[in-house]
Amino acid sequence: MKKLSRAVIIIAAIMGAAVPAMAQGPKPESSLNNPLALTLVVIIAALALIIGLLAVVVYGAAEIELKKQKTSKPSATALTILALLIATAAGAQDAAPAATAAASDNVGGLSGSTYYILMAVLLVEVAAIFFLLFQLRFLLGAAKPKITEASTSTEGAVEYKPAAPQLSWWDKFNKFRPVEKEADIDLGHEYDGIRELDNRLPPWWLYGFYITIIFAVVYFYRAEVSHAAPSSAEEYQAAVAKANAQQEERLKDQKNRVDENTVVLITDKAELEKGKTVFMSTCTPCHGQQAQGIVGPNLTDDYWIHGGKINDIFKTIKYGYPEKSMQSWKDQLSPVQIAEVASYIKSLRGTNPPGAKEKQGELYTEDGSSAPAADSTGTAKADSTKPAVK
Amino acid sequence: MQLEKFYYDNKIVRSFAYATVLWGVVGMIAGLWVAIQFYAPGASLNYAGTTFGRLRPIHTNAVIFAFVGNCMFTGVYYSLQRLCKARMFSDLLSKIHFWGWQSIIVLAALTLFFGMTTGKEYAELEWPIDILITLIWVAFGINMFGTIIKRRESHIYVAIWFYIATWITVAMLHIVNSFEIPVNLFKSYSWYAGVQDALVQWWYGHNAVAFFLTTPILGLMYYFLPKAANRPVYSYRLSIIHFWALIFLYIWAGPHHLLYTALPDWAQSLGVVFSVMLIAPSWGGMLNGLFTLRGAWDKVREEPVLKFFVVAITCYGMSTFEGPLLSLKNVNAIAHFTDWIIGHVHIGGLGWNGFMAFGMLYYLIPKMFNTPLYSKKLATNHFWLGTIGIVLYAIPMYWAGFTQSLMWKQFTEDGVLQYPNFLETVTQIIPMYITRSIGGALYLTGALFMVYNLYKTVKQGSFIGDEAAEAAPLEKAHSHGKEYWHRVIERKPLQMLVISLIVVAIGGLIELIPTFLVKSNIPTIASVKPYTPLELQGRDIYVREGCYTCHSQMIRPFRDEVARYGEYSKAGEFVYDHPFQWGSKRTGPDLAREGGKNPDSWHFMHMFDPRQVSDKSIMPRYPWLYQNDLDISTTPAKIRAMQTLGVPYEKGYDQLANTELETQAKKIADGLKEDSKVKQLMTVEGMANPEKKEIVALIAYLQRIGKDIKAEPKSTTVQASLK
Repeated sequence: MKKLSRAVIIIAAIMGAAVPAMAQGPKPESSLNNPLALTLVVIIAALALIIGLLAVVVYGAAEIELKKQKTSKPSATALTILALLIATAAGAQDAAPAATAAASDNVGGLSGSTYYILMAVLLVEVAAIFFLLFQLRFLLGAAKPKITEASTSTEGAVEYKPAAPQLSWWDKFNKFRPVEKEADIDLGHEYDGIRELDNRLPPWWLYGFYITIIFAVVYFYRAEVSHAAPSSAEEYQAAVAKANAQQEERLKDQKNRVDENTVVLITDKAELEKGKTVFMSTCTPCHGQQAQGIVGPNLTDDYWIHGGKINDIFKTIKYGYPEKSMQSWKDQLSPVQIAEVASYIKSLRGTNPPGAKEKQGELYTEDGSSAPAADSTGTAKADSTKPAVK
Repeated sequence: MQLEKFYYDNKIVRSFAYATVLWGVVGMIAGLWVAIQFYAPGASLNYAGTTFGRLRPIHTNAVIFAFVGNCMFTGVYYSLQRLCKARMFSDLLSKIHFWGWQSIIVLAALTLFFGMTTGKEYAELEWPIDILITLIWVAFGINMFGTIIKRRESHIYVAIWFYIATWITVAMLHIVNSFEIPVNLFKSYSWYAGVQDALVQWWYGHNAVAFFLTTPILGLMYYFLPKAANRPVYSYRLSIIHFWALIFLYIWAGPHHLLYTALPDWAQSLGVVFSVMLIAPSWGGMLNGLFTLRGAWDKVREEPVLKFFVVAITCYGMSTFEGPLLSLKNVNAIAHFTDWIIGHVHIGGLGWNGFMAFGMLYYLIPKMFNTPLYSKKLATNHFWLGTIGIVLYAIPMYWAGFTQSLMWKQFTEDGVLQYPNFLETVTQIIPMYITRSIGGALYLTGALFMVYNLYKTVKQGSFIGDEAAEAAPLEKAHSHGKEYWHRVIERKPLQMLVISLIVVAIGGLIELIPTFLVKSNIPTIASVKPYTPLELQGRDIYVREGCYTCHSQMIRPFRDEVARYGEYSKAGEFVYDHPFQWGSKRTGPDLAREGGKNPDSWHFMHMFDPRQVSDKSIMPRYPWLYQNDLDISTTPAKIRAMQTLGVPYEKGYDQLANTELETQAKKIADGLKEDSKVKQLMTVEGMANPEKKEIVALIAYLQRIGKDIKAEPKSTTVQASLK
């Protein structure tokens, strides 16, 4: 009987909170794909569960209190709680039309009315939780002095104490039964000396399980039925679109627009140092620590397979020559970086490192015969510094 | 009622217990060895059998199937007899089971050492061993059910529910995942290809964790924990709910190993949601364990057995909370392919499995030898060493995983990768690898303490081979009117077996069948062609050397991965991959688009000595590939096997294959010879016929990976799949 009434209350608690949410069911259906709406609905569901949980706890506390007073009228508390819950539902429904009338603008992509309705439900739920908490505090507060009273009044009787053990929050949280009373729930059989108790499921565990199930249903619905959540491919497309927008922004800066036609040899020490860093982390596996060449060609001599002009080197790095096993770096190095590393490579000319690979490709001299006027100055500048290095 | 007198068979328990200890130590040494290779590549000894790619499967197989397997059998044989009040059904079957399982382990170690592997993680063993495993598993099953049926206890206890579910599910997983077509005695190809192979494999792999490392050990927990603590099990109804929920939900979660891969999205979503729902049933087990200790926490302070159990159960709770977390796509995007996962599994492996095994051994060896444990102090020291070991193992791995993942994903302000060179992200975490191996070494030291402690205990005790017991024979089962609904099935073990099978089959069927039958799940790509014979042989070398243990072949649809590796992987690219080689860890870079990225000559120099090419590389050397001639006698059989699997080679191609193979090898070798450095190396190594060597086949394969769709990056849905 008691179990039944308790179950009814729990269900009523959940329904009480869920009804307003459901009442809005048809309305936000179109906006159920909206992340904000969904978040709110999930929060509402979670709060509903918390209300249910609290209702059980309050009920239990009330029962203890009632037992103490020897007035066995648990249904009274039940009615109180039930009334409260009905009020919750009713309150939510009252709030709804008011909100609808008030709002017409958009909030977070939701129609205003939907948003305010959801928020109203949420607020009412929060209020209900506070109310339940208050009740609980009241009930527990009532219980406490009783215990101390009992223990002081029966100072002589030592064995009376364990009869009213103090429950810690942890005990309540898990619905622990005092160890001394576990004989009541012993199932009465044993396997090789192992006995089993029939403790209740820890409420937080059970409600946690429900929450994960709700999560699962919502997640799967969003991902695979309504397709409100982006698929893996859509997430990728969004990331690329964002990156492209950033890239466009970047290209507004003339400096970043450097390409194989406009590149100019860099001689600034600091920038060459940057080029060196890139070289060390990117080029050495094939060209060696000192550009002496391993499977890639030696980059310090005057022989070049794809041309030795700064523009040619830039182009080689940027697009690669896949058929000759030089890969394209345009997706991994920025144009500025390519210019820096190309210039760094040119700065290594004539360093003649140990173990240098034999010459490959055509002899290239810095006469700039076919170079456009734009970069001939750069080349010339670099050229003039060369003899000193030699 | 006349009491019947009978004897528990302790000898078989002792055998399994000794095997547990032996293989535990062997597996941990293998683990420590592979851990050291991360920062000291020379520890591979430049020898094929001890190189990471072969040693790592030896480590995983040893700790999972040898250590935890024997631990499971030890516990089952000990507890089942006592819970059923009956001796094992057949002493002969017990012996067959024991020696059969040990020979499987030895065969596994040998074949893996020699590079005979199917290339599917945790299912690497070749087909003859697969068959042997099936037979021995059936022997175990008959023995177990025989015992349950002739029990003297009307109801079967929760531990036995877990044993039953374990037995039937492992049987199902093993058989379905091991479908393969033999080429010869030592080589087979997975029946499934690409995406389908991946799904079956991780359906298996995830549930090997669930039903080999979790459910049987939960069964052991339900027996040994209440025994050792002398406390009643906390909640019977929690047992019921968490048991059924656990076995039902677990089987669905496999696809969370394949998030953001070419696996169809709907299967990925199922993997996510079922993983999340798994938290509660997993924690149900933890709570029932920990709450059983209510009123006995004072004993935990003194009793090492309970100390081990408490930490084990706590680790179980942590890793089963972390698992669902890792299954969320946004978390998985960070964690997958990194050391985070390695940390995660070792919380489970070292904490849950290892500590449950140690606790159990400390409990039952003294019991069977009728003596107290030789030294509680030493056991406590073992406990602390092990615990510190786990912490020193896990924290660096989480740190390393996080660091590396962030480095992979970091773009500069210029919109290019901050760390385009993969190696930078590896050298960054070398200190973590060192710390991890220290943690592992501590854990191993603790285990050695245990070996000594148990040895001394055995020495001082006297073994009770046949332990006398008595109980009334089983009456005709009857119900006492009002009883728990679940009590009915506890009297009917065979029905329980059938219901368990149904419960675990549902998830698998719903995920596997559509992936196999619905063609739109794997859109065919016209330009994807079967491998040439040389590439096929090279791929088999790739599998043999366990390259998949460090290199993935799966570019996920992330901007950073596309920038680093190339266009993300499509389902249709893998239709000829028997087995799939997507991998699960990136110690080295992804290879899904390796084809054409580096020149042949680079691969030639690199595989010979990676550190000559990249200074700080931690990749092992593969000098034997430059000495061994490629065995081309297997080519026709391999082509025929592939034809049977539906790979569209023309009829009669098996006879032409070797001619084509030699032509392609010659071409590659001639190209290689053009490079002066390569030529120099060939001279030094005395390679007279480079075209005949294994390295050429491997290069051919590497240069092919992911190249088919480079020409046409857009995948198109063309007619039927798989011809």
